[in-house]
Amino acid sequence: MLADNMYAFRGQLQEQGVVFCYSGYMTEEVLTGIGNAIKKMMELEETDRMVAKDIFSIFVEQVQNVIRYSAEHVPPKIIGQEKELRYGVLTVGYKDGRYFVSCGNLVRQEDVARLKSSLGHIKALDKDGLKALYKETLKGEAPKRSKGAGVGFVDIARRAVHGFEFDFSGVDDNYSYFCLTAYV
Amino acid sequence: MDNIKINATDRSPEVDFDFGRNAFAVRGESYPEDVTAFYGPILENLEAHLTCQKDADIKFNLELIYFNSSTAKVLMGLFETLDEAAENGNDVLIIWTYEKDDDTMEELGEEFAEDLEHAKFEMKALDTG
Repeated sequence: MLADNMYAFRGQLQEQGVVFCYSGYMTEEVLTGIGNAIKKMMELEETDRMVAKDIFSIFVEQVQNVIRYSAEHVPPKIIGQEKELRYGVLTVGYKDGRYFVSCGNLVRQEDVARLKSSLGHIKALDKDGLKALYKETLKGEAPKRSKGAGVGFVDIARRAVHGFEFDFSGVDDNYSYFCLTAYV
Repeated sequence: MDNIKINATDRSPEVDFDFGRNAFAVRGESYPEDVTAFYGPILENLEAHLTCQKDADIKFNLELIYFNSSTAKVLMGLFETLDEAAENGNDVLIIWTYEKDDDTMEELGEEFAEDLEHAKFEMKALDTG
């Protein structure tokens, strides 16, 4: 039974083309470790170097988004650390002739509208539009409540040569589940 | 000012600031855990140094293979700082070195350089073989 379940899970992942999957707390140490593993994996598979760079870059932005923004977290006082731990799911894979980097995490309901409109705006932009927004965001002030440069999504969109998709699913009154998949 | 020499790690670039020679270089990959902690102190030193320079030849080499979006924000500020130094009467040259087949890094270099009004800018394609 134990092996059956795990084998079924492995089959599900393979069916979706997933070659790498992580679910758990995302920390900077985890980012370093998985990052090196992904680099190694792409080297072994002889992925085109520039494609590998885009995949890696999207991976970094996705994971740093989870580390900074995931609403599913353990408060610092419980783990006795300065920073809280944030939870997310990450998959990297290859299907239908394109690579994908997919990431999911809980977000607060009050942030959903802002994320939707910002991602919708980015999705509608062409290459030049993305370039302009990238620069504007780098120069301007980071959006309210943002702990990073606020330019991560634009960077993902610029590198996702086959585009990106995002989706939200309501969980309860307080949270929604947010997922973003970028294609290279 | 004491020279700054920091070795590269998995996630942060090599930093080589020679204040006496006005020769500065940042090389490698840049996606540090904490961008502010990494770049804050060294760029403060650089700014303090540059404000005291007059008629100096200043050369800044950027040889980045990859950087994340938080680093991009820092680079934007660095370009502004260097452009100011040039505006204040120094001869400032920024050299952007990128891997020859890396169109993204080439484009990013051009984009950062677009706003320079006083500093000189050079692109250098590195043969990766």
